[in-house]
Amino acid sequence: MNVKRMSRIALSLAAALTVGQAFAATRGGQMTFGRYADSLFLDPVLNDANLDIWILTNLYDTLLQPTADGKGVQPGLASAYSLSKDGKTVSLTLRSGIKFADGSPITAADVKWSLDRARNPDNGAWVGLVGSIASVAASGNKVTVTLKKPDPSIIPALATFNTGIMPQKLFNAAPGKNDAEKAKAFAEKPIGSGPFVLSEWKRGSYMVLKRNPYYWKMGEDKKALPYLDTLRFEIIPDDNTRILKLQAGELQGAEFIPLSRVAELKKDPKINMVLFPSTKVNDIIMNNRPKLKDGSANPLSDVRVRQALNYAVNRDALIQLVTFGTGKPMKSFMSSGTPLFDPAQKGFNYDPDKAKALLKAAGFEKGLEVTSMATSGSADDQALLTALQQMWGAVGIKLKIEQLDAATKTARYRANDFQMRTGAWTDDIADPSEITGYYAVNGDTEAAHTGFTDPAIEKLFIQSQQETDKTKRAAQYRQIQTLYAAASPTIFLFETPYAVALLNNVKGFNQIPLGNNIFEATWLAK
Amino acid sequence: MTTMHSPALEVAPRPRRWPKPTLLIGLVLLLVLIFAALFPQALARYSPTDFDYQAILKGPSAAHPFGTDNFGRDILSRVIHGTRIDMQIAIFTTLFPFIFGTLLGALTGYLGRWSDAVVGRIADLVVVFPFLVLVIAIVAVLGPGLMNMYIAVSAVGWVSYWRLTRAEVMNQKKAEYAQAGRVLGYSPSRILLRHLLPNAVTPAIVYLMTDMSLGILLGASLGYLGLGAQPPTPEWGVMVADGKNFMATAWWISTFPGLALTLAGVTFSLIGDGLADALRPRA
Amino acid sequence: MHTSYVLRRLLQIIPLFLAVMVLVFTLVHLIPGDPVSTLLGDRATPDIVARANKELGLDKPLLVQFGLFVNQLLHGNLGESINLKIPVLRLIGERLPVTLFLTVYAAVLGVAMAVPLAMLAAVRRNTWVDAVIRAVFQVGLSLPVFYVALQLLTLLGARLGWFPIGGYGENFGEHLFHLFLPALTLGLNLAAILVRTLRNSIIEVLTAEYVDFARAKGLRGSVIMTRHVLRNALIATVTLLGLNIGALIGGAVITETVFAIPGVGRLMVDAIFGRDYPVIQGLTLMFALIVSLVFLATDLIHARLDPRAELS
Repeated sequence: MNVKRMSRIALSLAAALTVGQAFAATRGGQMTFGRYADSLFLDPVLNDANLDIWILTNLYDTLLQPTADGKGVQPGLASAYSLSKDGKTVSLTLRSGIKFADGSPITAADVKWSLDRARNPDNGAWVGLVGSIASVAASGNKVTVTLKKPDPSIIPALATFNTGIMPQKLFNAAPGKNDAEKAKAFAEKPIGSGPFVLSEWKRGSYMVLKRNPYYWKMGEDKKALPYLDTLRFEIIPDDNTRILKLQAGELQGAEFIPLSRVAELKKDPKINMVLFPSTKVNDIIMNNRPKLKDGSANPLSDVRVRQALNYAVNRDALIQLVTFGTGKPMKSFMSSGTPLFDPAQKGFNYDPDKAKALLKAAGFEKGLEVTSMATSGSADDQALLTALQQMWGAVGIKLKIEQLDAATKTARYRANDFQMRTGAWTDDIADPSEITGYYAVNGDTEAAHTGFTDPAIEKLFIQSQQETDKTKRAAQYRQIQTLYAAASPTIFLFETPYAVALLNNVKGFNQIPLGNNIFEATWLAK
Repeated sequence: MTTMHSPALEVAPRPRRWPKPTLLIGLVLLLVLIFAALFPQALARYSPTDFDYQAILKGPSAAHPFGTDNFGRDILSRVIHGTRIDMQIAIFTTLFPFIFGTLLGALTGYLGRWSDAVVGRIADLVVVFPFLVLVIAIVAVLGPGLMNMYIAVSAVGWVSYWRLTRAEVMNQKKAEYAQAGRVLGYSPSRILLRHLLPNAVTPAIVYLMTDMSLGILLGASLGYLGLGAQPPTPEWGVMVADGKNFMATAWWISTFPGLALTLAGVTFSLIGDGLADALRPRA
Repeated sequence: MHTSYVLRRLLQIIPLFLAVMVLVFTLVHLIPGDPVSTLLGDRATPDIVARANKELGLDKPLLVQFGLFVNQLLHGNLGESINLKIPVLRLIGERLPVTLFLTVYAAVLGVAMAVPLAMLAAVRRNTWVDAVIRAVFQVGLSLPVFYVALQLLTLLGARLGWFPIGGYGENFGEHLFHLFLPALTLGLNLAAILVRTLRNSIIEVLTAEYVDFARAKGLRGSVIMTRHVLRNALIATVTLLGLNIGALIGGAVITETVFAIPGVGRLMVDAIFGRDYPVIQGLTLMFALIVSLVFLATDLIHARLDPRAELS
């Protein structure tokens, strides 16, 4: 080897280094992330809980993907998509050369099979999100989704976890007599289309994901993502332990940091305490029916009482007490991060005098007593309701707190056997129809079990579900939000962020407002 | 998570001629606790439940000697008011098991045979059944809170007292004075209640003291799982649990209630040891 | 020698087992809340809940469900977890060794701390040594388990970095290392109770007439200590351990949560809160079986150590 050649190598090496610095991202390594509880069932369609949903897109890629801000949609396994003029046909072009984590090609047939599985009414809780699909056709690299009626939420639906693409052949090869058994067997060691693939899973303890070498997306260095070789989830249910483990460097990241610890961790020089914007709203659900389940009269059936309760809430104080300054007041029933949230919504300001006047008008100037269910053992519920006790007490409303374990609380709520309860919601899809269908429309779940119904909202909602014109749809949603606030079937409290603590060397991690943890572009700085 | 048992072997040390200070100190501490439980207003400067937004998470100071919590509540006042709650827990988690368990133990120990066998099998069932399942079942049906915790604990707690007393009565039955009673023609109930039970109850009484601090601890453990005392009740164990998220920034929230728990534990233990001395078997 | 006794005791477990089966089945099915709506949460429509219930056979009459449960059990099958969708037997197989390891470890540490210290306290009774030993354990006994756990974790784990923060590890050595703090937490609790009781029973032996007699006979102190005191201490320890085995396994619930240990305690809590019927039932039966067997074992050991004890 001569000197000239040596220096050339040195030069190209230096060039590579500079390039590397320009792109900054370092490849390789393992990131260990502390979760508060383990996943239950890693099936994109049949899962039931956020514990699964929020990591599923790392295992199963979707045709389209939510943008980093969670409000829009970008191409995924499909490199291009278009909606027909009548809004009833979606045409998608599959990216060329895409493969599952075992190296086998992702075909249009796999896509058709996955979408058909997701919309099969026998399959799980998320069917409604793709209920408008009439049929799916596949040929070559083209996938055509035909709708029963125009559906403005179909594009975001194709970017949602339950339309994740699965390998038909491998699924069918899984042991089991029927699809349900095959699904269980497959989900224990799934081979998917996402940036990572499950390599080891010790339930309740840890889960190891390996880099999928066939993932299509390119990193800043023009090589395939993800940057990480290994992503390891450790299950650490106790908040303190999770934080201690992060501080000791045994974890590189930890989710669900209690909001009470955020300020303290922000001061820790080794830690990057991040508050990701979310679509999480925290509210109080009220029973709006004239009579409660036990037959007694329900003062909350009077809209003035419901408004009074809303005006008597000092949201700024609550945000300090319960969210330690990290939250912001709710202005509408949907979060400000939900598409078509109306920024002109005012919500309720804190006005105890107005509350008293409203109560007087409703015939309750001598006060009244209400009862709210809370989840026992939830520090947040306790803080919230004890604070509300004081605020409402000031306008003559006595709040009784009924602590119940979560399962009992859910059962009572589903049976409409409650007067008030603490509630929370996070969107699963980048579209307002999901939360509106649940909160404002008296459908299967009776407007979040409030029993509330408003014919004008019902009509607007049906229209908006077929409205393909964005401006018109936004106007419909503005009206729905205004009508809802006036009727105040629930009590608006506050929006809270996702609190994730990372070590300083962790870069490129994102938790989008829908909750999905995105590790595809995460890397560890040296 | 059941309470730990510390039964039959708790034998009194040998008789001593001079009175020990143990019992005396224990009783003085108990008086202090009882006073705080009965007249918390006399000692506490603030309400245990009122918020003070101006004084959130303040460290110990002249105004708040034990500091304040995340709602600006005065920890000292909460600890003082908590005395009543925790003394209640100590009493109500043990009173029924003690009475029921010792009476039943005396009875089946004396009668033996099938009554002993039947109660023995029920006791087996109680002991092998996971306490947590029972507690959560009761709490799910009746709701969480102190009263339902007492019910759950009582359903289980009697077994220790039954065992202790039964074993003791079976021993005493063989003792001379019982034999003598029978020779004299005393009725079985008289022998049992007037002679056997008073002598056989000592280990149960000594254990009662340990059980009281275990009861308070159990309350704290259930509080950690959200099944014990419910807020804003100022219960020491729940206060310690509430403070665990502030351990690094506001140590006083969990430390002072923790000290109160220790004080109560020491009190009961001193009395227990003292009683073991004073009540040693007369036979 | 005791074969017939052991057999009789084993036979007694059967009706006990039946009673536990009926009790746990009734309890879990009658309490409010059900696995499906708890899992699906607030959003699921009644339709979806009904369909899931049907799939799981939860729509059948209770008696039929009980029959199916018993039938399954007779075939050595504990059913499948509703939430985790894997067989309960496999879950127990994965998690039980962890809890047993922790429990035995805690018992060993507890006894290792308690026996020498109790003997020391008894020999030096009513001196400052005695007072310090008793005071330290009294404090340990007065503080909630989660608090002690957290303090140990913060001090020895985070601050000093001597031990890993939570977890279980991959092999025996790592288990010993990872589980040291949780075992210490549980062991301290056990030791506190052991010390109290052992100290008294050792004092009793030390002051008993036969020891005086032995001393009079000119036996050396160490011989007296091993022949009488240690033997008695051992008997007492075995009895106490047996009595507390249930509490020890039960106490693992909180310790496992704080230290992120994947044992049955944590599984039980999750199952109860999630109303995962098959898991609750399976774990309860397993718990009952273990506790019964440990009771039997302690009685046998007791009989072996103490010639006066009779097996009846």
